[in-house]
Amino acid sequence: MAIATPPSPAAAETMERLERMWQSRPGVLGWLTTTDHKRIGLLYFWTTLVLFGAGGIEALLIRTQLIAPNQNLVSPSTYDELFTLHGMTMIFFFIIPMTTGAFGNYLLPLMIGARDMAFPRMNALSYWIFLASAIFLYTSLFMGMAPNAGWFDYVPLANRQFNPGSNIDFYCLGIIFNSIASTLTAGQFIVTMFKSRAPGMSFNRMPLFCWAQLAAAFGLLFALPALSADTIFLFLDRNVGTHFFDPSRGGETLLWQHLFWIFGHPEVYILIVPAFGIATSIIPAFTQRRLVAFPLVAIAEILVVFIGFGVWAHHMFATGLPTITLVFFAAATALVVIPSTIQVFAWCMSFVLGLARFKTPLLFIAGFIFMFVTGGLTGIMFVAIPFDQQVTDTYFVVAHFHYIIFGAAVFPIFGGMYYWFPKVTGKLYFELPGQISFWVLFAGTNLLFFPMHIVGLLGMPRRVYTYPSGIGWTAYNLAESIGGYLTLVGILLLLGNLVVSYFRGEPAGPDPWHGPTLEWTISSPPPEYNFAVVPKVTSPYPNWDAADREEDRRHLDEGVLVLQHGHEQPAVTPVDARFAEIVEMPHESPWPVILAFTLSLVFVMLVIHKYGVAGIMGILCLLALVGWHSKEPQES
Amino acid sequence: MTDYAAVPRTTEATDAAAVTRVVSQRVSKPAAWWGMIILIASEATLFGAFVGTYYYLRFNTVAWPPDGLPKPDLVAPLILLGVLVLSSLPMQIASRAARAGRLARTRLAIVAALVLQCGYFVYEIHDFRDQLHRFDITRDAYSSIYYTLLGADHGHVLLGILFNFWLLWKLARGFTTYRVNAVQAVTWYWHAVNILTVVVIGTLLSARA
Repeated sequence: MAIATPPSPAAAETMERLERMWQSRPGVLGWLTTTDHKRIGLLYFWTTLVLFGAGGIEALLIRTQLIAPNQNLVSPSTYDELFTLHGMTMIFFFIIPMTTGAFGNYLLPLMIGARDMAFPRMNALSYWIFLASAIFLYTSLFMGMAPNAGWFDYVPLANRQFNPGSNIDFYCLGIIFNSIASTLTAGQFIVTMFKSRAPGMSFNRMPLFCWAQLAAAFGLLFALPALSADTIFLFLDRNVGTHFFDPSRGGETLLWQHLFWIFGHPEVYILIVPAFGIATSIIPAFTQRRLVAFPLVAIAEILVVFIGFGVWAHHMFATGLPTITLVFFAAATALVVIPSTIQVFAWCMSFVLGLARFKTPLLFIAGFIFMFVTGGLTGIMFVAIPFDQQVTDTYFVVAHFHYIIFGAAVFPIFGGMYYWFPKVTGKLYFELPGQISFWVLFAGTNLLFFPMHIVGLLGMPRRVYTYPSGIGWTAYNLAESIGGYLTLVGILLLLGNLVVSYFRGEPAGPDPWHGPTLEWTISSPPPEYNFAVVPKVTSPYPNWDAADREEDRRHLDEGVLVLQHGHEQPAVTPVDARFAEIVEMPHESPWPVILAFTLSLVFVMLVIHKYGVAGIMGILCLLALVGWHSKEPQES
Repeated sequence: MTDYAAVPRTTEATDAAAVTRVVSQRVSKPAAWWGMIILIASEATLFGAFVGTYYYLRFNTVAWPPDGLPKPDLVAPLILLGVLVLSSLPMQIASRAARAGRLARTRLAIVAALVLQCGYFVYEIHDFRDQLHRFDITRDAYSSIYYTLLGADHGHVLLGILFNFWLLWKLARGFTTYRVNAVQAVTWYWHAVNILTVVVIGTLLSARA
C-alpha cells in the first residue's frame, strides 16, 4: 500500500519481514516448485505465447498454400493436419490458457486483494499438466501423426476405418489431457473468488474482470465433461471396439456432434467472456469513470455463458434434425443477442460519458468492439435457418468465427498485454509504436477476414486444400493472404515493442493509468506477498477510494491486519465477504510437477496402447497424490 | 473489521479440543468443502453426459436391450445399491463425530462405512466379470454404454474406498483442522457417489421397462 509514498520505518520493517517469508527459492528449482500465482501466470503466458506462434505458423502455411489457385506448397494430408492443429492450438492451447491461465492467474488474486489462489498447488498442477498436454499434442506432429480430421473431428471420418493411424488417438487423449488442466484452473478460480476475496469485497463489489472469469470458469467446469465423454467414447470405439458411433450396431454418428457442440458452443463464450472482462478493466481506466450499468454487465457476462449451454444444435442445422428442433435452437440462439448487446451498449456509453483517452489499450478495445459487432451481425444471420444451411461449411462461417475469435478474444488479449505490461514489468511501453501496432493489426485482420465473407458467399468451401482458377476466388484469396502477413507484422511490432520496452522503457511506478482496481495499489512488479495488509474494500473501484487506501497505509504503520505468522491469507464468507478465518497457505511443493509427470506417462502409455503399463502409471499418480497430502499446512 | 484479532487462525488447530473450537466458530464452509463441491459438479456433469448418451442411443434404437440379450437383473443390483447407499449413514456419523472432536467414533464410523463399501465393490466386480462373459463390451452400442456407465461408476466407488483408507491412515495421528476438513469433504464425495450410483443403476435397470 505504502509504496507510492515512502513507508515509515515500522512499515518498511514489516514489508521486509513479509518479503523474507514469501520469497521463492532461487533458480530453476524455484520455478519448478513454485505455487506463486504470479509466477504460474507468467509460465502460462510464455508457454501460450509459444503455442500462439505455432498456431500462427500453421495459419500462415494455410494462407500461403491458398495464396493462388492450384498451389502445392504442402501435401493435402499435411494441409489436413495444419488446419486441425491450427484450430486445436488456438482454442485449447492459446486462448483458453492465455485468458484464464495467464491473465486470470496473474490478475485474479491481485484484483480481489488476496495473496494467492485458494489452492496454490493445484494451480501449479494445472500449469504442468497443460504444458505436458501441449508437448504431447505437438509430439504427434513431429511423428507425422498429428490430428487430421478438423478441430471438431467428426465421425465417421475420425473412425478407425477411415483414419487408421494414431492421429485421432492423439486428438482424443490430447483433448482429455488438456481438459484436466482447464478443469483444475476453472475449479480453483471459482473457489478463489468465493473464499479468498478481501473482507468487504461482497459480490456486488467484485470487479467485472473477476465476474467474467467466474462466468468462464463455470462454463469450463460444465462444458468440458461433455467433450471428455465424447472423446472417451471415440477412443473406446477406435481402440477397444465399442460401437457408440457405429450405426450398424445401434450407435449414432450424430451423437458425436451433439456431445461435441454441447461443449463446443459454451466454449465459444468461454473464449470471449474473459476478453470481455479485460475490456471492462481497460475502459474505466482510460475513460476515468465507472463502467455504465455495472450490475447489468455482470449479469450479462454470466447470462452469455448460461444461454450458451442451450444453443448447441445451431452448429448442426445442416444435419437433418427435425424442423421443430431447428426452430427451437434458432430462437435460443437469438436470445444471446440480448446480454451481448447490453455489454456493447455499456462499453460504448462509457466511452461517450467518460473522458476517453485513446491510448493503445483502449484502441485495442475499440477495435475489439468493432470486430465483435461485425462478427455478431453475421452471427445473427445464421439464426435464419435457410441462410445457415446455404453457407454451412463455406468460408462465410470461417469469416464469422474469426471475427469473433480473433476480433473479440485476441484483440482484448493484446490490449490487456499493453494495459498490464507496466504492472508486470514495472516499465512503460512505447506509446507511438504501440498505436502503430494496433493500426497494422486492425488493417491486417480485416483484410485477412473480411474477403472470406465474399468468397464464402461465392461458394468456396472450408478446409479445401486448393481451388481452381477462373471462378472468381483468386483475388480475394490473395487479399486474405496479404492480410495474414500484415497481421504477422502487427504481432511482431507488438511483441517487439514489449521486448524493447522491457529493457529500455521508463519506470512505470505503481499506477501509471490511475486504474480502478486493487492491482494498481501495489508496486510494479508486485511483491511476492502481493498485499502487505489486507486491503479495505468498499466499492468495485477500490483504487479510486482514497480514504480506504489511506486507512491501509495507517494499518501498515500500526501493524494491523498484516497477517505475518506465516503464509497467511484471510478467508471470507462467499456472498458478503465477511472475515471468516485466517488460513495458512501451502508454499513451494515438488508434488505438482511430479504428479503432472506421472500423469503424462499414463497418456503416453495409452497412446501406444500399453494399457497395463498405463494402469501402473495411474497407481503412481495415486501415490504422488498421497505424497502431496503428506505435509499439512500447519507443518510448513 | 476492527475485531479482526478475534478471527480464528483455523489451520493452527492440531488437537481435538482446538479443532472443535475452530469448527464450532465457523461462519462459512471451508475452501476444502468448496473444492469437493466443484469436483462433484464436474463428475456429475460427466455422468450426465453418459446417462444422456444412454437415452439418446436407446431412443434411436428399436430393440433395447437388443435382440438376444437378457434384460438386466432386478433383485441383486437393487439389494447391492441399498447396501452402498446405506454407507452414507456411517459417513455422515463420521463427519459429525470429527467436527465434535470424537476421534474413536470417527474412525469406527469410517471402518463401518468401509465394510459396506468394500462388500458392495467386491460383489459388483465379481458380477461385472460374470456379465462380461455373457455379453462382450464390443457386441453393440447397448453393451458399449452399459459397461462404460457401470465401469465409470465402479471407478468412483473404488476411489472413494481409497479415500477412506487414506483418512484412516491420516487419523491414526489424531485430529487437525486439515484432517477434519478432509473427513467432511470425503463424506460429501460419498454422498455424491451414492446418488450417482442410484442414477446409474436406475438408468441401466430402465432397460427392463
